[in-house]
Parts: sequence; C-alpha cells; structure tokens
Amino acid sequence: MKSLIVEGVSKRYWVPKAQKSETTESRLDRIRNFFSVPLARELVGAQEVWALKDISFDVEHGTVLGVIGGNGAGKTTLLKVISKVIAPTTGRIRGRGRVVSLLELGAGFDDEATARENIFMNAAINGIPRAVALERFNDIIDFAEIPEFVDTPLQYFSSGMYLRLAFSVAINMQPSILLADEILAVGDMSFQERCLQRVRELAEDTGLTVLFVSHDMEAVSRICDRVIWVKDGTLHRAGEAEDVVTEYQNATWELLTSAEKPDAKGSSHAGRYGEILEVKLLSSDGREIGSPPRSEDIFVRIRFRTYRAKTRVRCAFDLFSKGVLVFRSAQPELTPVGPDMAYEAVAKIPANLLSETTYTVSVGITLIRGEGEEHALVVNKALAFMVYRENSEESSGTLHRTGVIDPRLEWSMEMKPYAIRA
Amino acid sequence: MPSAPDVAIDAGAEWWEIEPRQHGVFDRARELWRYRYLWWFFASDTMTGMFRRSKLGWIWLLLRVAGPVGLNAVVFGGMLGVESGGPPYFLFFLCGTTTWVLFERSLLFVTRSLESNRKLITKVYFPRLILPMSAVAPGLLYLAILLIVIVATVIYYFRKEGVWYVTLRPELLAAVAAIVLSLTFTVAVGLWTSVLQARYRDIRYGLRYVMPFWMYFTPIIYPATAIPEKWRWLVALNPMAPIVELFKWGTLGQAHITAPSLITAIVLITITMISGMWFFNREEAASIDKL
Repeated sequence: MKSLIVEGVSKRYWVPKAQKSETTESRLDRIRNFFSVPLARELVGAQEVWALKDISFDVEHGTVLGVIGGNGAGKTTLLKVISKVIAPTTGRIRGRGRVVSLLELGAGFDDEATARENIFMNAAINGIPRAVALERFNDIIDFAEIPEFVDTPLQYFSSGMYLRLAFSVAINMQPSILLADEILAVGDMSFQERCLQRVRELAEDTGLTVLFVSHDMEAVSRICDRVIWVKDGTLHRAGEAEDVVTEYQNATWELLTSAEKPDAKGSSHAGRYGEILEVKLLSSDGREIGSPPRSEDIFVRIRFRTYRAKTRVRCAFDLFSKGVLVFRSAQPELTPVGPDMAYEAVAKIPANLLSETTYTVSVGITLIRGEGEEHALVVNKALAFMVYRENSEESSGTLHRTGVIDPRLEWSMEMKPYAIRA
Repeated sequence: MPSAPDVAIDAGAEWWEIEPRQHGVFDRARELWRYRYLWWFFASDTMTGMFRRSKLGWIWLLLRVAGPVGLNAVVFGGMLGVESGGPPYFLFFLCGTTTWVLFERSLLFVTRSLESNRKLITKVYFPRLILPMSAVAPGLLYLAILLIVIVATVIYYFRKEGVWYVTLRPELLAAVAAIVLSLTFTVAVGLWTSVLQARYRDIRYGLRYVMPFWMYFTPIIYPATAIPEKWRWLVALNPMAPIVELFKWGTLGQAHITAPSLITAIVLITITMISGMWFFNREEAASIDKL
C-alpha cells in the first residue's frame, strides 16, 4: 500500500541576478544603485533557477526512505514541497494521513517560550487538539529527557536538549509521514541511536513512513529500506539502500579526487615569502596512494619553497571528514629556513586511527620573517582520500559505527573481588 | 522508557493532494477550522511579543492610549476650541477615536504578520490566512482599554454634570456593528498589505506615513458636520468615516451619518475583502518563496 506518491514535481525560483559584492562595488556604483529606480532594478535582475526538476517516486506504507545527495541538490526543497511549506511549480503529490516535519532544528519553536508552551504550540501547528496534546505531554517530556526543564524558556536549552525536544514532539504528533531533515547532525550519540531506533520501530509497528535526509551514509544504510539520490534537482538513482549508498560514496570519492586543482576559494598557495609546491599522500614505502588501508601508517608530504632569508616556518594541516574538522596538526616549533630553497615536511598518521570513510586535507604554512611579520600559505582541500578496512581486520559486529576517527584503544577486563551488594 | 505512541494510521486515512494551483474557498475554510487551535496561539504570541523584554509591560499599553488621546483632546478641544456639537469634547473625541485606533493599530500588526513569522512560515505548514486574521488581537486590547476609559468618562460626567451622555439603549448595537466593520476592514486591507510587505518592506513605512493623513481625513477630531458640503462626496469614499460616525451615533446618539455613505462603506469593505482574499490566495506561495 502506498502512502506517498510524488509525480513529476518541479520547483522554479526567481533569483535576483548576482550583484557585485559590496567589496568590489565602487563607491560610484553604490551611489548609482541607491538612486536607481528600485522596481526597475528588480524586474531586470531576476533569473530562473530550477531547484527541482521532474521528480517522481512513491513510498510504500511503513518504509524508511533515505534521501541523499550533495549540498544544494534539492533535498530540503523536496521535503518542503511535500510538507506544503512551498508550492510546487508543476507536478502533483498525493499522500495519506498527517505529515509532520522536522525540517530544521527549532523550526516551529519559540525561543522565548517555555518547553511546555512550545509543545502546545506545536500541537496546534499540527492541528492537534489541546486535550490530545495533554495526553501525550508526559511521553514527550520523558522521551526528550527534560522533565526538570519543562518550564524553562528554550533559549536556555543546549542544542542537544533542543533536538531531543523537537524529535520527541514530532514523533508524538501522530504522524503518518515523518519528514526528517538532518535531524541527527547535533545531539549525542546515545540519543541519535535512540531516535534511529524509534524511527525503525514506528515504521515497523505502526506503518509510519519516514523520509530521512542525511549525510551520514552509515546511518542511512543502517535504518533505511530504500534510498533516493537527488542530484542537481533531479532524481538520480532510487533503489535498495545498500546499492544506492555504495554508488553515491564511490561517486563522491571520484569527484573529490578528480578535482585536480585545489579549491581556489580562500587559497593562497604562493606568497611573497614562499610557495607550496605539492601535497601528497604516501604509503610507508613511499608510493603515492589515494585509498590507504586502515591498518597501515600513511604520510602527508608537503613540498614548499622559500624566497627570503631570515624566515622561520611552521607547517600544519587540517583533516576533515563528514564536514567536520577531525583534527589540526602542526609542527611543534618554528624551523629557520634559507632563501630560495625547497623543503619537504612529512607528517605521519598512524595506522588504525582513521575510520572507514573519506577525508580531505587542507594545508597551511606559516612563515615568520624577522621579528614577527607573519604570512600564511594555504591550500584548501589539497588532498582527498578514502580509507578502507581490510577484510582480515576483526570486526566488532553490530557495535561497529563509522565515526570520523576509529582508533583502536586498549581494553582490559579482569575479575575484581568487590562485594556485590545484595 | 515511555510507551510507544500509537500512531494513528488506518487504511482509510484521508488522501491529500498538493498541486501547483491553489485550492478552492471551501477547502480553505475547512482547513482554517481544522487548525482552529492555532488562532489563539498566534493572537497571544503577537500580544506577548509587544512587551517582550520591556520592564513596564502592559503599562506601555495604557500610556500609548492615554498619551495621544489626552494630547489631542487638550490641543483640539482645549487650545483650539474645536466644537463637538453637543457632548463634552473629551468624550466626543474618545468615541470618535475608538474605532480608528482599532483600525490603525491592528493594521500595522496585520501588515507585519507574515514578515514577522517568516521563520515559521518557511519551515512549517499551516494555513497562512490565520496569521493576518489573528494579528488583530493587539488592536482588540487597545479597544478594550478605550472602552473602559469611555465608561469611566461617562461616569465622571454624570457625577459632574448629572447627565448620562451614553445610556443603555438599542442604538448601542450600532456601535458594536461599527467595531465589527472596522475589524473586517482592517483584515481586508491587511490581506493586501501583509502579502506586499513580505516582498517590499516599503509597505509598512508607507502605511505609517499615510496613516496620519488618513486620520485627519476622517471625522475624529472634528464633527462630520464641519466638512464643507462640496467635499462630503470625497469623504464618503473613505470607509472609515461612516464607521467612526456609526460608533459615535451608537454611543453618543449624535452624529452625521447617511444611509448612502454607510452602504458605500459596506460595499467598499466587501470589495476590498473579496479582492484581498483572492490576492492573498494567489500571491501567498510566490511571496513565501521570496521571504
């Protein structure tokens, strides 16, 4: 039985033409703009942008559907159209029962009102009578784990508490279809785990249909039955979760590595005092690699040259994964360098530290000349690589989850003769 | 662990549909009813929003009524000696200004209603029509205060002069009708201005600019009889004029009001309302894209 049918949905936006940014705009331009006829400026300046192009799919009752895709691919727009927040330009959507959306943390919440007031406000927004909301009140508070903060204004809530409340409210609004956009980006692991579990339970027990947008491929493949991949506003792939996720990950990785030119934004690889020549990832035997196994040491090698005498340098790099900074590592001290020389700095990333996922490396070199005149060379996204896990490595089974790192810690356990209280 | 919520899904759950074209008036009305719990929330939110982070809170409300009313009464009734044509000028002015304040105050809130709930509108769905309609709440607060002041003034003049200027009689219903008309007109104009305000912030500045002119164009500080005969047709095009006169007639029993002017006003209000509904319905989606 179908619970949601999306047929040929497109969404067009009129976007003002990119204007010169404040900084490049000359003073004269600014004055001229200020005095130009406002309405005329607007009419001339719009261009159309299709955020969604002819998207069709349907979802079976009780399915958890993952929605994946890059930033700006149209995932959120799709969810907004389904939740009626924005109207589609063409197409038709049919669905059954109440749609509850968790589009953004705190949407539909008022920071200055207390948790209690917000719960009733949300119930009203979802068309739920106060009496029903009252019945569910305790469930909501309990699941959110905030019984002692019921009458605290939300502005004093931590983002974790906020998320717990938002999620708890949403699943208690008797949804038939739940739209969840990146809800697990914040919040602690144990709560994320409970949310995912609850989503699965509801899908199986009550036939709740869930559309789950996430960048966490591990979570997507674990809880979703099916996955759709949205790319540039179109439906790129749809199918079994495992298949689509694998394909998506491969494609993302290729995209990262094929981008030979480092990201130009914010980069200044060459300056007056020096220049970054290349950044490579090497294996322990000196080969250049793009996809190292987890169980081997790997090396980040930075080659650079200097132009001036009396310069001291310090190399550093940032390691990113899943959009977060995993760590920054810098040389412990400044090293004096000579003029017109080439240098090579190597950092070792030990084996069994990184996780089975994709990483990017941004490199920065600080050059200090004389008494503190500081200059920085930066290459954003100088490297991209994907770590894989060898089959031989023992697996911790169901307890395995992909974090941004996956260090092998030393565990110990022994029997202790403590008395066990009766 | 709390018990699992029993999600209400029965096989017969209603199918809904989303299409680019807007739904009909009947569907809209049904939806407004389904979301009836929201009205009060938005109304109280607008009202508490007025005094957020203010120390004096509701005292501001009193001051904002007392200040202008007192000042106008002193300037026009006392210093300039404008004739009321019967009752004490203060009472005359009070009764004249009541429906006007209701209109003016509410319209500003209604105009901002979409814009100030931008965060909510772009993230959650609910019938947007609730916003402009519930934003008249602050105006109703002002109305309540003014009505209390009127009652107090009437009692004061009874003790001073021994005359009841306002008595309980059937004509008071006309005053109630004036209030209803004023509210309807506010929402009708607000349907236009709130949508436009979402796109062009100029609307509110424009309104604030126009409002004082509009007030002097309405017989509030002066009796309608003071308008020269040859200009009365122009005043008839202002729906607020008969509304203000109707309220004065209902309370003080003394006003210049003609059936044609009242009918013109009602027709104008109806036209504004219907066209406003049409405009709101048509432009709602497009405006939200631009919020």
